[in-house]
Order: sequence, then C-alpha cells, then structure tokens
Amino acid sequence: MNFLRTLAFVLFLAFFSAATVGSVEIEISSPGEQTIPLAITPLLPIDGVKQGIAEEFQQVLENDLDLSGLFDLVDPASFLSDAKKLTLSSTEVDFTQWRLLGAEAVLKGGYRFEGEKMIFELRLYDVISRRLLTGRRYIAKKEDVRRIAHAFADQVLLSLTGELGPFSSRIAYISNRSGQKELYLMDVDGNKPLRLTAHRSIVLNPDFAPKRKELIFTSYKEGNPDLYRKEIYTGRESRLSLQEGLNIGGRYSPDGREVALTLSKDKNSELYLIGTDGSLHKRLTKHFGIDVDPSWDPDGNRIAFVSDRRGNPHVFIIDVHTLEVTRLTYEGKYNATPAWSPKGDRIAFSRLEGREFNIFTINPDGSDERQLTFGPGSKEHPRWSPDGRFLIYSLDRDGNKAIWIMRADGTGARRISAPGGDDTHPAWSGRW
Amino acid sequence: MESSRKQRWKQLQSTFEPGFRRMLVVSLLLHLLLPILYQADWFPKKGPVKPPVYRVNLVNKIVKNPQAGRPEAVATKPKPSPKPQVKPKPSPKPQVKPKPIPPKPTAKHVVKPEPTPEPAPIVSQVQEDTRLDALAAIKAKLKKQKEEQDRKDRIAQLKAAAEKEATQVASPIADAPVGMPEGKGDEAGVSAIAFIRELIQANWKYSPYLSAVSNPEAKVRMFYSTDGELQHYEFIEKSGVQAFDDSLTRAILQSKSLGQPLPDNEPIIVIFNLKEMLDLR
Amino acid sequence: MQNWSTRLLLMLFVLTLLVAGCAKKPVAEEAVVEEKAEVAVVEEQPTAAIVEEQVDEAAAARAAAEEAARAAEAAARAGLARIHFDFDQYLLTDTAKNILENNAKLLKAAPVVKVKIEGHCDERGSDEYNLALGEKRALATMNYLVSLGVSADRLSIISYGEEMPLDPAKTEEAWAKNRRAEFRVVL
Repeated sequence: MNFLRTLAFVLFLAFFSAATVGSVEIEISSPGEQTIPLAITPLLPIDGVKQGIAEEFQQVLENDLDLSGLFDLVDPASFLSDAKKLTLSSTEVDFTQWRLLGAEAVLKGGYRFEGEKMIFELRLYDVISRRLLTGRRYIAKKEDVRRIAHAFADQVLLSLTGELGPFSSRIAYISNRSGQKELYLMDVDGNKPLRLTAHRSIVLNPDFAPKRKELIFTSYKEGNPDLYRKEIYTGRESRLSLQEGLNIGGRYSPDGREVALTLSKDKNSELYLIGTDGSLHKRLTKHFGIDVDPSWDPDGNRIAFVSDRRGNPHVFIIDVHTLEVTRLTYEGKYNATPAWSPKGDRIAFSRLEGREFNIFTINPDGSDERQLTFGPGSKEHPRWSPDGRFLIYSLDRDGNKAIWIMRADGTGARRISAPGGDDTHPAWSGRW
Repeated sequence: MESSRKQRWKQLQSTFEPGFRRMLVVSLLLHLLLPILYQADWFPKKGPVKPPVYRVNLVNKIVKNPQAGRPEAVATKPKPSPKPQVKPKPSPKPQVKPKPIPPKPTAKHVVKPEPTPEPAPIVSQVQEDTRLDALAAIKAKLKKQKEEQDRKDRIAQLKAAAEKEATQVASPIADAPVGMPEGKGDEAGVSAIAFIRELIQANWKYSPYLSAVSNPEAKVRMFYSTDGELQHYEFIEKSGVQAFDDSLTRAILQSKSLGQPLPDNEPIIVIFNLKEMLDLR
Repeated sequence: MQNWSTRLLLMLFVLTLLVAGCAKKPVAEEAVVEEKAEVAVVEEQPTAAIVEEQVDEAAAARAAAEEAARAAEAAARAGLARIHFDFDQYLLTDTAKNILENNAKLLKAAPVVKVKIEGHCDERGSDEYNLALGEKRALATMNYLVSLGVSADRLSIISYGEEMPLDPAKTEEAWAKNRRAEFRVVL
C-alpha cells in the first residue's frame, strides 16, 4: 500500500506548493538596523555598597560587548525608573519602559558581600518577548570583578548566538618592555599583563596547547633558537626541541599530541612533526626553498605554511598524511604568517605591499580573498580567537609595535596591549 | 486493516483491468512532470509578486489604488510654503535641499505612524509649516556660524545623493505627490504592501555577528485585520538559525499595529533573508 | 530507518568515547634535558726560565710563528668584514664575494681561529621567514668560504632573522645595512 500512500503524499505536496505560489509575497532582504539596541543598567548593591565595583564591571562588560559588534548601547541618560530598581526576575521588570526607549534587550544585576566573598547576580532580558535570556550568579573574590564581567559577556553572546564568547580566554605575546624580548600573558582586553619568562635573550612566536595551560615558544637562551615548553601556572619550563639550527614556529596540533615546526638541521628549513616529548615523528616538506610558519586546520589533516618554492613567499597547504602540497595564494608578491580559523572556513595571512603588511583572509580552496586591514602601519601575525569571531595581530606604526584586535570581517579594530614597549607575536589561548 | 486494504486493492484490480496499475504510474509521472516543467526556464513563470523596493514614509496613508507619485514624499507640498520671508537671506543653497534627500539606508528618522487615522490635510499642513518655520530659524542661526563648512558638506552630500538617485528606481517626477511610482489609481497614499514592508523592516534588528550562517532565510505568513492590527502570524519556513528566527519574531511583535486601517485584508507572506545586507558588506 | 539512525548514533557514541579516551591518555612527561656548559680551560702561559739561554733557532722560529699566528688572529678579529645582501635574497653579490675572499685570506692565515657566521635580515617580512632566510644567508656565506679553502669545521652558523638590526630606522639605507652576514670569532 506504500504506493498509494506515496502517490497521495506527492499530490498533496504538489497542491500545497501551488497554493503558496499564488499569494502576495514580500521579500525583506536586509534588517532595518544591523545592531541590537541593548540597555546596560548599572549594577546595584543588594546590601553593602562598595565604590568602584559597578563602574569597573560596567566598563569591562561594555568594552567586550562593544567589541562583539552585536549591540547598539541605549544612552544611559535616557533610562527611566526601572534602571534603578533591582529586578532579578522577568516578572518584576517594567518592559514597557525599556520598549519606549527602543531597547530590545536589557541587562540588569546586583552584588552583595558574604564574608570575603562577593556574589554577583546578573540577568539579561528580552524586552520584546519579556523573558529571561540568561541569568547567572557568580561567587568570587573581591578582586575578580573583571573576570566576572568577561565571563558574563561570554554568557550574553551564548544566549543570543548559541556560541560562547571568547572574553574569558587569554592572549600571549612577546614584548621588549623589560629591555629584552620576553613572553607575556594578558587578558583579552589587554589588562593584567604578566611576564612569564626571564631568559634575557630573544623569545619568539608563542603558541598555546589546545587543552593544557601550557605554551611553546622559541628562545635563544642557550645560544641557539630552540623550542621551549612552559607550564603557565607551575612555571615549569623545558626544552622541547634542540636540533642544530632553527627550532622555530612551533604549533600544537588540534589534538595537542604533536607539534609542527620548522627545523633546519638538514641545512635548509623544512617542516617537521615532533611529539610532545621532542622526538621526531615525521618530515613533512622536502624542498630546497624556505618552508616556515605552519598552521594546522582544525581537523588536524592539513597544514598551511609559507614557502618560497615558487620564487616569492606564498602560502601553501600540505596534507599531513599524503604530503601533497597545493598552492593557496597567487596574488601579491609576499604572503606570510597564515592562520587557519578554528572553524576551518578561512585562512588569515598577511601580505607585504610596498613597505607594509596588511591582513587578508581567504577560503582554504583559494577563493574569495578579502583584505581586512587598511590604513597606515604594518599589520602582521594574525591569530584567531577560539570562536573565530575575532583576530588579533601586531601593528607596527610610527615606530611602535602593539597588539590589536578586530572582528573577523576587519571592523572594530582597536589596540589592546598597553603602551610601554614593542609588542608582537600574539597568540590566543583556547577556552580555559 | 492491512488485509482489508489488500482485498480492496484486489477488488479494484479486478474491476479496472490489468492496465490500471500502469495507468496510475503514468498519471503519477505526469503529475511529477508538471512541477518540473514549471520550475524549468522555458515555462512562462509568474513568480511571486515582488514589488520593487521603495522607501515608504510611514506617516503616509494606506490606500487601495494609489496615484502615481513618490512613496517617500510627505503629504504636504515639499516646496517652500507661502511664507518664505522667514528666511533672513534667501541664499540660493538651502532651497535645493527641501526633501529629495536620498532615501536613507535606515528608516531611523521615520518615527511611529501618526496616530490619527485620517490626517486632516489642513491641520497637518499647518503643523508642517510651523515645523518648517522653526527649522528655518534654527538653520539660519547655524548657517551664520559655520556657513562655509556646511555648504561644502552639503554639496558633497547632494552630489552623492544625485549619484545614488540616478542608480535607483527613479520617481517619475522630482516633486511628485504621495503615491506609488507605478500607481494607476487616484488616491493620495501608498500601497499596503509597501507600507507593511517598510514598517517590518524598520522594526527588524539583526546583527551579522549573530550567526556564522551566511544567508539564512525564513518565510512568515501574516494576517492583518482591516483595522490594521496583526491577527495572527505563523512561520511557514524557519531558517533553522535560532538568532535569526528570534529577531524576526521580535520584528513582527513590534509591527503588531499598523496605526491605520487597511483597505482589504489578504494574508501576506514575508520572506526574510540577508541578501541585500550581505551585498553591502 | 530508525534502526539505521540508532546504529549511527551508537557508532558516533562509541567513536566519541574512543576519542575522549585517547585524549585523556597522559602524555609522557618530557625529561628536562639540561646540558652543563663546558668550562673553558684557559691555558696558562708557561713562565720563562731565568737561567742561561741556549740559542735555539727552532724555538725562535716557533716564537715567530706564534707571534705571527697571534697577529693573524688579531687581524682576523679586526678584519673579518660583514657582507650585505639584496632584499629577500641569499645569493652573494660580487661585492660580497670580494669581501669574502679577503676574509678567507685572513682566516687561512689564522688557522686556529673559529668563526660563527650570523645571518641577519631587515625588518620587512615575516619573522619566521626571515629566520630561515638569515640562515640561508649564513649558509651561503659559509659555503663560499669553504669553496675558498677555509676548513668547514672552523665555521658554524646561526640566524637571528630580523631580531638584531644594526640600524632600527625604517629607511632603505637602514634596511640595506641590516641585511647582512657577520663574523664572530669564537676562539
């Protein structure tokens, strides 16, 4: 009887589609506004006021949310009485007031003290459908206000987009503010910079382990550019690769079990895979040209790298299993520092044009190349945020090098590293 | 159940002779062929009614048979009203800039539709005139302060506007009355579809950073009553992107009331996607 | 249909377990390999005897040779000139070859002298690429010296990429100055 049933179904479908084609259709192919009007109300004390907490929280959160590009903040000067009311459930919020101000979402919260602990109650409401989008309680030490603001910013993005924000992760970079190039760590907004090494030599090009709180980097500490590994919290450090010649550009594989790097022990720079114990696993390239700057695709099957095997430096892709090499970039005369996006859909790289580098992205099949940065200064070393929403890079302008951040489409660029030294080689941690 | 059907099937077979089954198959194939032919290029295709996109001024009245004119025009004469003496010096420049400002990409300036369902023409004209007067006074003041800079900016603006205008669907006449460009009727006003489209779009807020899905699309059927209130809406097709569908729900909820009656009430299907936005980026 | 999807789900589940299981496997701890720096043995100068002195022509010749060697070493230390390269190039220019011929002469005259050749680049270009390029420059320099008869075991190389510019300015002149190979006497 399946035959009859299928027939009936097909006829029904035919009828239905014919019916819809007949009626009036309007197509709206762009929203009236490309931002969501969000009202961030000041944090209110539940019991016990402490100066500065609400302000610091607000400043960190606003900066994160502004960077996301999702929102248009409603002017706090226009806030009505509901902004001064502590409402921790959607039934208590006067949504009509917020609608009047044009807000589509409103963020409210309060804090209180419990001994040495601080407790934050934070809520995000949908003004139009009058419901709670996300509600969080954070219990933390008093000095963790920034951390909480970043964590809640991550939650705000999760509730609206279905994907957690990257604001609680960290950025490693190289800075010469102590006089020599050393490895540093900072928050995503550039706060809390922390020096990790004291090699008094040259430290270069860090990369985070995907899961462990651990970094690899190159250092001339022992006279040769060797690859080091450092556990961030214990501070324990060891040499991971000390082959003769270069041991540079180390990049953890997505599963964290191997490291791709450039070795020149064969009197020519070639890409290798080594284990996390430093043992040689595999030689990837075999070419008299320069092969450097590996970057893994998130599946761990391919590696983008830079080679001058066709004359000028260009980005190529090598299959880790078959060792087959394909060329990715054809435009320009000098393309370098590829970075494969965590979703695998784009590869960022920098291109030298004239005296300056700019950052581009391209599909892994070589199509749809786009320039993301313009304007004065040289922009190098792009690296992705763990969610692929943002890129960090180093900008060399007016003789000063700093770490900058921008959205993956090139908008919203801003400086994050503090003045006081030349900062380069940023690397973004995974989610901790 | 199954067996009884089998029996009936056998009965049918016996009544309709051996050719019956084949006949059904042929019939099915023909039915399948029809939509295929319809989808194919050689078949004259009517396609969904997609009126060209105009910026509609949301203070305008919705009429059944709009006259020829501009949907973004305001219901008053755009030319300087019968009291130009307010302007201190009738310098030639400001005259150029009454209303043919380029249709702004965002409808932010358009506030809520006027609550009065029938804007009594005289009243609104007086209001408009006083408003123009006040504007003129302020403008004169400002002009004295930064005349040079302003003028330069305006020239650049006008140039850009002229360029933009040239590429867009041109209004038939520069100072046409309120109407639709292809209007054939005799009523001053805009078509319901153009109005609703403008209203929903103005209320739709969606950020490209909400989802990595490049071009989501959803279809919603909406029913407005003749008094301009949304009776019911339903998603015919969801995009599957939660953030996108949520933004549409918010836009629709904010477009619940048109603020004025409709000439008739047929259901409207709204297709939401990001084609235009993505082109711009 | 259902059977299929359940089977698929089951397979996925098992796969996930497998992957998770593998990921948790502790990675072998790497032993810290720390090499003790060799303590350089400084040769004591033999103290001269103050008794009678026999005229020994061989000793005089030796002393003269030592003197010459010391002079050659000093000459090498002072005279080994750096060479420069074109942008994104590690091929030796004719000027560079002339300088290297002179350097080779100095090195051959001082056979005990060991030299580390440093490759450097200008600041343009990616740091990693420049490290590799610097090494190519050092290597090209070393190979040319070897071809001129300098023993290869007296030469070693290191690349500093763009990390140690002579002139930090952002001018063509500064960049040209920074694209170089230098000679450091290590003994």
